[in-house]
Amino acid sequence: MKKIKWTILTLAILSSVGGAFASRPPALVSGLYYFNGEGYMPVTGQLGVTYVCESSTSTCTYTYSQGVYTPYQTASSYTPIAVTLTTKPTPKKNN
Amino acid sequence: MSKKQVLIESVCALLILLFLYASISKFLDFKTFIDQMNNQPLPNSWTPFLVWGIPLLEIAISISLLFEYTRLIGFYASLILMIAFTLYTGIVLLHFFPYIPCSCGGVIRKLTWSQHLILNLFYVSLSILGIILQHRKYFKPIFITNQHSLV
Repeated sequence: MKKIKWTILTLAILSSVGGAFASRPPALVSGLYYFNGEGYMPVTGQLGVTYVCESSTSTCTYTYSQGVYTPYQTASSYTPIAVTLTTKPTPKKNN
Repeated sequence: MSKKQVLIESVCALLILLFLYASISKFLDFKTFIDQMNNQPLPNSWTPFLVWGIPLLEIAISISLLFEYTRLIGFYASLILMIAFTLYTGIVLLHFFPYIPCSCGGVIRKLTWSQHLILNLFYVSLSILGIILQHRKYFKPIFITNQHSLV
């Protein structure tokens, strides 16, 4: 009984560890790029801080290697986070 | 080994498969996981807690599901975690947040938000099934013993 139990559980553990390693994405060797409608621009800043990848049918970011732009973050679109002023500038008073 | 026991072990195996795979994937590509967490429409100040808390909790649940004494706690914990994920997915799909982030993470990143919701609901029901089976396993013999003692 215990043998069957541990066979099932060991299979689950090995499959999950193996699956995680097998599906590991390749490490980024170059920077990321986004397509602004006219050309590819390097992504500056950090995901979630200066830009977000919104769910859509297009590609958010690309990698660049040997003249080819390869989709990296798919099924989303590049959206820069708008910088908003938290305090209104106060006008100068002329005395 | 009874059919019910095989069913409990299979439910545990499926939950372990999900949680262990998800947590290892996150740790293997930790920087991307941080980015993806920042990409979610949640305050970025939560990120340090979430990036450590979620995978560690997933590993803890996986370990608790392995052993008989901690299995019921593991089923309850997995139910709570899966309900939390399902609620978040539902909120995202209902456009509650200012934007819908990409649904990314491990092989599961290939799934859309709707597919994520279906997967989460499947695992919620799997956790409920595990709780029911585990409860029956322990409480039925006590009930029978009490009946016998009355006779």
